[in-house]
Amino acid sequence: MAARVARGAVRTVAFIRGIPWTVSAGELRQHFAQFGHIRRCNLPFDKDTGFHRGLGWVQFSSEEELNNVLQHDKHVIDGVKLMVLSQRPKALQGGQASDEDKDL
Amino acid sequence: MPTRSPPLSRRPRPFRPPYASAHVPHPTSGSLWPPAPVSAHVFACLPGASYRNAGMAALLRPARFLLRAADGSHLPPALRLLPRGLQSQARHYAIAAENRWTEEPTFSSRRVGGQFDWALERLDNSVRRTGRIPRSLLQKVFTNTCHSGTPGGNQALLLLRSCGSLLPELEFSERTKLAHVIWEKLQKLGTVYDVSHYNALLKVYLQNGYKFSPMDFLAQMEAANVQPNRVTYQRLIAAYCNVGDIEGASKILGFMKTKDIPVTEAVFSALVTGHSRAGDMENAENILTVMSEAGIEPGPDTYLALLNAYAEKGDMDHVRQTLERVTTSELYLMDRDLLQIIFSFSKAGYPQYATEILGKLTHERRYIPDAMNLILHLVTEKLEDVAFQVLVAIPMSKEDRLSDFGNFFLRHCVAMNTSAEKLKEYCKKLQETQLHSSPLQFTLHCALLAKKTDLVKELLKALKEEGFPIRTHYFWPLLVGHLKEKNVQGIIDLLKMMKEMGVNPNKETYFSYVLPAFESSESLQAALKENDCLSEESISILSQIQMKHEAENGNLDYFFSFLKSNPTELLLGTSLKNSLILCFRRSKNVTLWSKITELLYNGGLCQETSRHKEAVGYFLYSLIDSMSDSEVQAKEEHLRQYFHQLKEMNINISENIYRGIRNLLDSHHVPDLIKDIRMLISKTDSQNSVQQFASSELESTLERLKDENQPIKDVLKKLILKLCSEENMQKALELKAKYESDMSVGGYAALINLCCQKNNIEDGLALKQELERLDSSVVLDTGKYIALVRVLTKEGKVQDAINILKEMKEKNVLIRDSTALSFFHILNDAALRGEVDTVNQLHEAIVTLGLAKPTLYTVSPLVTVHLAKDDLPAAVNVCFKCYQKYKVLPRFHDVLCKLLEKGETDLVHKAMGFVTEEQGEMTMLYDLFFAFLHTGNYKEAKKIIETPGIRARPSKLQWFCERCISNNQVETLEKLVELTEKLFECDRDKMYYSLLKLYKINDDWQKADAVWNKMQEENVIPRGSTLRLLAQILKNNNQEVPFDVPELYEDENDFLSSPSSPETETYFHIDLLSACKLQKHKDAYQIFLKAQKQNIVFNSDTYSSLIKLLLSKDDFTNAMHVKSVAETHIKGFTLNSAASSILITAQVRRDYLKEALETLSAVCSQEQLPSNISVTRLVQACALKGDVDSVQAVQRMVSGLEDTLRLSSMLFINNTALAQIKNNNIDVAVEQIENMLTSGDQAISPQYFGLSYLFRKVIDQKLDPALEKITIMAERLANQFAVYKPVTDLFLQLVEHGKVDDARDLLQRCGAIAEQIPIFRVFFIRNSRRKGMVPVLNCVLELIPELLENEDLYCLLMKSYAMSKDVASANALYTQLMAKNMPLSNLFLKRYAILLKSCGKPVPFEEPPESFEFYINQQKESRESV
Repeated sequence: MAARVARGAVRTVAFIRGIPWTVSAGELRQHFAQFGHIRRCNLPFDKDTGFHRGLGWVQFSSEEELNNVLQHDKHVIDGVKLMVLSQRPKALQGGQASDEDKDL
Repeated sequence: MPTRSPPLSRRPRPFRPPYASAHVPHPTSGSLWPPAPVSAHVFACLPGASYRNAGMAALLRPARFLLRAADGSHLPPALRLLPRGLQSQARHYAIAAENRWTEEPTFSSRRVGGQFDWALERLDNSVRRTGRIPRSLLQKVFTNTCHSGTPGGNQALLLLRSCGSLLPELEFSERTKLAHVIWEKLQKLGTVYDVSHYNALLKVYLQNGYKFSPMDFLAQMEAANVQPNRVTYQRLIAAYCNVGDIEGASKILGFMKTKDIPVTEAVFSALVTGHSRAGDMENAENILTVMSEAGIEPGPDTYLALLNAYAEKGDMDHVRQTLERVTTSELYLMDRDLLQIIFSFSKAGYPQYATEILGKLTHERRYIPDAMNLILHLVTEKLEDVAFQVLVAIPMSKEDRLSDFGNFFLRHCVAMNTSAEKLKEYCKKLQETQLHSSPLQFTLHCALLAKKTDLVKELLKALKEEGFPIRTHYFWPLLVGHLKEKNVQGIIDLLKMMKEMGVNPNKETYFSYVLPAFESSESLQAALKENDCLSEESISILSQIQMKHEAENGNLDYFFSFLKSNPTELLLGTSLKNSLILCFRRSKNVTLWSKITELLYNGGLCQETSRHKEAVGYFLYSLIDSMSDSEVQAKEEHLRQYFHQLKEMNINISENIYRGIRNLLDSHHVPDLIKDIRMLISKTDSQNSVQQFASSELESTLERLKDENQPIKDVLKKLILKLCSEENMQKALELKAKYESDMSVGGYAALINLCCQKNNIEDGLALKQELERLDSSVVLDTGKYIALVRVLTKEGKVQDAINILKEMKEKNVLIRDSTALSFFHILNDAALRGEVDTVNQLHEAIVTLGLAKPTLYTVSPLVTVHLAKDDLPAAVNVCFKCYQKYKVLPRFHDVLCKLLEKGETDLVHKAMGFVTEEQGEMTMLYDLFFAFLHTGNYKEAKKIIETPGIRARPSKLQWFCERCISNNQVETLEKLVELTEKLFECDRDKMYYSLLKLYKINDDWQKADAVWNKMQEENVIPRGSTLRLLAQILKNNNQEVPFDVPELYEDENDFLSSPSSPETETYFHIDLLSACKLQKHKDAYQIFLKAQKQNIVFNSDTYSSLIKLLLSKDDFTNAMHVKSVAETHIKGFTLNSAASSILITAQVRRDYLKEALETLSAVCSQEQLPSNISVTRLVQACALKGDVDSVQAVQRMVSGLEDTLRLSSMLFINNTALAQIKNNNIDVAVEQIENMLTSGDQAISPQYFGLSYLFRKVIDQKLDPALEKITIMAERLANQFAVYKPVTDLFLQLVEHGKVDDARDLLQRCGAIAEQIPIFRVFFIRNSRRKGMVPVLNCVLELIPELLENEDLYCLLMKSYAMSKDVASANALYTQLMAKNMPLSNLFLKRYAILLKSCGKPVPFEEPPESFEFYINQQKESRESV
C-alpha cells in the first residue's frame, strides 16, 4: 500500500542505465541491497534476443534509501560504471482548489 | 539553388577526420601543388615503347579541374563521399550544394531534402567517428531513402559511394552486390543517373576489386546516353591496370587523347600498378621517369603505388629504398599510406614486414579510424594476427585506456569465424596490456549475438578458468535462437551444456526460453529426465511454472482445488499470490473470484484468522494494483459484482486498505467503484476514523482523566502536539509545567521546536537540557537540532550551538542534503549580520565534526561575512585560504566584481595571480571576463575574450548564462552573447538559447524576434529546442511564427475524395482522434462532417471525444450537432462522464440551467461522476437565480459523493443562503447559518466555516438589506459565541470591495478581528498571487498596522509588491521593517532585490547569492521540517 502512495508522492525508484549485459536482475539487486530495502527490481529482458537492453529499475522502500543510492559516488558492477538516476515521480493529480473562494 | 547555411556551431572539431586532411598539400610538396597543367603523350605508355626516348609531345593543357586527391585510388572513398577543402562541419552543406548540380530541380521538396540531411548526417557521423559505415546503418539509410518516394540524385550518390571500402566488415563480393542492389532499386524508383553516379559505381568496383569489362561499362553508359568524363576514363584505366592489362589501359588512353583530355598523376600511378601486376617491375619503376619528362613530378600517390607494388612482391629492400627516395624528394607519406603498405605485404603473404612499417607510423590520432579500417579489412581477409599487431600499436591516450579498446576487432573476429584459440589469446593480451577490462565477456557477447554455440562454449570455459561466474542468462540468447526454430534438440543440448558448466537453469530460463518449445511442462519434464537434466530444483521450478501456466490460462478451478487441498498455502507466498492475481485477471468468473477470496479469508481451519483477514485486504489491493487503467475500466462491472459478493459473504477490509484501494481506483479513473469497495470497510474501523480532536476537547478529556486518576500521558502528548501545531507556545509551556511528570519525549521535542520557532531560546534550551537529564539517549529529529543551532547562533550563543552540533555527531543524527543546506543558511545568516567569529567558529565545528563536507556552498559564508562588512582584503585572503584548505574558491566572482567596482587594482592583480597559479590562465581569463561583464566594463571584457588562444569553456559559459538568467541581467547576458561571437569552439546556439530563455521570462518577444534574425545573420543553425522556445515566446504574444511547423494533415485531401472503404474509415478515425488530441477542433469537426457525407460511423468514445473538444472550445452548436448525430447512429448513446461534465459547464455558461440540471441528473443516474467544476458552477448559477429548489436538488443528486468529487463543504451552505437571500428570505438564510455555527453538533468546525463567497456575492449584487443583516449576524457570532471566522471574512470582503469605511467601523466594533492571524495569512497567501491586489492588502495593513509584525504576512506583502512591480510600496515596506528591526528572510530580500533590479534600481543591501528558486525551496523545506 505504501508503495503506491509512495509512488505518487515521493521518489523511491532508481532508474539505471548502462547495465552491462553480464548482469542480471539478481546481480543488480545484490548490488543495490546495500543501500536499503529493495521493493522491486526490474531488469527486463528482450524475449526476442535473450539480452536485456541495459535499462533497469530498482524501487526502494523510502526516498531516503533512494537518496543513499543517488549520493553514492560510483556504482560499479562487473567493472562497469552504471548511470543511476532518480525516476521522475508520476505527476500528481491537480490539487484541490480553495474552499469557499472559488468564483467560477 | 538556395545556399545552405553553415552548421550549428562554428567550432572545428579537434579531431580531424582523415579525409578532411586529404586536400592538405604535403608540407614539402612545394611545386607539386597545385599540380602542373599537363597532359602526357598517350603513346608513351604503350607496351614496349621506350619511355626514355618517348619524345612525346607533352601537350600542355589547362587542367583547372585537377586535384591530386581527386582519384588517388588508395584513398578511402570518403574523399568522394565528402568534398575537400572544407572543415568537417561545413562539409555537410557543401556537399549538398555541390551535389545539387546533378540533382533534378523537382526533387528539392522539403521532405526529400530533410531525408537527405538525415541520411548524410548519419553516414557522415559514422565515417567521422569510426572511419567506416556499419552494414546495418547503410541498410537503414537505404530503406529510408526508398520510402521517401523518388530518391534524389544526391541521395543515390551518397548510397553508392558508401558501398566500397567504407564497408571493411563486408567481403568484396558482398559490397559490390549491395551496390548493385541499390543501383537497381533506385533506378526502379525513378532516380535518373548521370555521370557522377557511373563514376561512383566505378570507384566502388575498384575498391572492391570487382572484375568487369571496362568496355562493356562504357557501352552501357553510351546506351544510357551518359557521356563519360575524365574521371570515368581514369577509373577505367585503373580497372585495367588492377588486373595488369596494360593493353586495355592504352585503349582508354587512346580515347582520352582523341578527346583532348589531360592525363594526370592518377593515371601514371595506375600505370605503375598496371605494369607491376603485369609482372614488369622495371617498367613500373620507369613510369616515374616518364612522368618527370612529361612535366609531372611523381607525388606521394605515385610512390605509394610503387611501394605497394614492391610490397606485393614481398620486396622489402626496394620498399626501404623507395621510402628513402620519398624522404629525399622531400615528400611525405601519411600514416594511412603506410597502413596500406602493411596491407599489401600481408595480403601477399609477407606479414613479417608489418612490424617494420608499423615502426614508421607517426601514430597521429586522426589516423585512428584508418587504422581501425585496416584492422577490420585484415580480419575480413583472415589476417587476424597482423590485424592484432596493428591494433595494439594504435596509440591510446590515458583516458582512452579507461574505456574498452578493441571491441570492434573482437566483434569482427567473431563475425569472421576466427578460431576460439586465437580469440582467447587476443583477449588475454588485451587484458594484460590493460587495453580492455573484460575482453572475454565482450567476445562472449559477440559470440552470443552471432549465435556461435561452439565458440560460446569455448569462451565460457575460458571465463570459468579465469574465475568469472557463469550466469544463467548467458545461455538465453542461444536458447532464444533455438526456440524460434522450435529446435528441441538444440535446447536440450544447451541444457546439457549448462549442466556441464555447473549452471542451474532458473525459473525464468525454463519459463521463457525452454518451455515454449515443448507441448507441456510434463513433456519437458520427461525430456529432461531422459537426458539426465532433471534435478530436485528443476522439479520444483517446473511445478511453479505449471501454476503460472494455469494462471495465465485463467484456470481458477485449478487454484480453487489447489488451495482447498493445501490449506497451509492459504496465506499466499509471493509466488503463489502473483500467480493467483494473474489468474484472477485472466478469468471473468466472478463467482470463483469470490469463492477463492472467501477461502482465503476464512483461512481453512487455521487459528490465525486475523492474519488471513488482513492478507485478503492486501490481496485485493495487490489485485487492483496489478491491473492497468484500461483493464480496470474494462472489468469495472466484474469488480463491482465481486465487491458485492464479498459484502454478502461478510468479508471486510480495514479502513487503511480501503484508502489504498480508493487511491488506486481513483488513479485508474474508475472512481465509481469507490463506493462499492467502501461497503467492505469493517465497522470497527469506520468508527475509529473520526477527525482529529480540537485542543479544547483534548483539554477537557485530559482534565477528566486526571480527575478520574487515569493515565494521561497519551492525551497530554496529543494535546501538546496539537497546541504546538496551533503555535500556542504559552499554553503548551503552561501545560508542560503543570503535568511535567507525564511529559513524553514527543511532547518535549515538539515543544523545543516551537520555542525555537518563536525564538524563545531560554525555554527551548531549558527544555532540551531537561530532556537530556531525563533520558540522555534520546535522539531528536535532525530538524529540531538544526532549529536549536539556528536560534542559538542567532542569539549569539555560539558555544551552546557548537555543543548541540557535538551532540548531533555523538548521537549520529541523520545528515541529509537538506541538513547541509540548513547549515549553510545558519552560517549565511550570521555572515550577513557580519559576525566574523560566529561564522568561523561554527563553520570550523561543522567541518571538523564531519557534519557537512566543505563545498563551495558551505564554505561561502566565510567570504560572505567579509563582503558584508566590505572588508575586501580579508575577503580575498579567506578565498585563498579556502582554496588551500578545501580546493574551492567561494564567491570568487562576487569578490572580483567588488574589487573591480572599488578599483582595488593591487588586489585584483593579487587575486588573478593566485588563480593563474592554481587553476591556470584560462580560468583566470574567464573569471576576469565575467567580472568585467558583470560590472559593465564591456570594453575590458572584450579585450579579455579576444586573448589569442582562448577557447570556449562550455561549463563556465553555461554557469554565467544561468546566473544572468536567474538574476534577470538582460544587458549582461546580451553582451556576453555578443562578445563571444568569435570565440573559438563556442556553441552559438546554446548561447542564443540562454538569451531566449531570459527573454521568455521577461516575455519580450521583440527581442526574441531579433535573436532569430541575428542567428541567421551569424549563420547559426538553431537546434530544435531553440526553435521551440522561440516559437513559444512568439505564440504567447500572438505573433506569427516565421518558421516551419510541420502540418499533420498534408495528405488529407488525397484520400478524402476516395470512396469509403474500411481503410478510409480507419483513416478517418485515426485522423479524428489525432485532431482531438491536438485540440484542433475545427479540423476535427471538418473530418466529422466529411465522414458524415460518406456515411462513416464512429464509435461512441470517438463521438464523446469530439463533443468534449468542441465544448471545451466553446463550440456549443456544433457539439450539439455531433451529439444528435451520435444519438441517431448509436442506440443509447451516452456521453462519458468527462464530456458530460463539460457539457454541463457549457450549458451553465449559456444559461441553459434546466438542461444542465437534466444532464447532471443523467450523469448521476448512470453512476458516472460529474466533475467538481461542473457541479460547482451549476450550483452557483442556480443560487444567483434565487432557485433554492435547484440548489437543493443538486445537493441531493450528489449526496454521498461530496468527498469523492472533492466539493467544498461550504458550497451548498453558501449557495443555499445566497439563493434564499435572492428570494428575499434573508432571515431564513441568517437563521440557518447561525444554527449551524452555534448548535452542538457542528458538521464543519467554525474555523473552516468560510462565508466569503456569500459575502462577496451579497456585496457585488448590492443586496444592501441582506448585507446589513449578515453583518449583524457575523458580529453576533463573534461577540456572543466567539466565532470570529465570519466577521473576519466579512471584514476582508468589505476591504476588497473598497468599502473601507464600513470595514473600519466593523473593526472598531469588533476588535478581535485584528487577532485572526491565520485567516489573514490565508487571505494574503491567496491574494499575493493575484495581480492588482496591492491596494487591498495595503488597505488591510492600514486598518490593522500590527499585522506587519507577522513575518509571514510581510513576506507575502513583498511578494504581492513584486508581482505588481510596485517599487514604491516595496521600498516603504523595507524601510519600515528595517526601522523596526524586523528579521528579513533571504527570500524576502531576494524578492525585493529582483524587483529593484528589474526596475533598474540599485540594491541597497547584500543580495542573497542563490537563485530565487533556491530560497523558495529553502522556505518550503523549513516549513516541512517544522
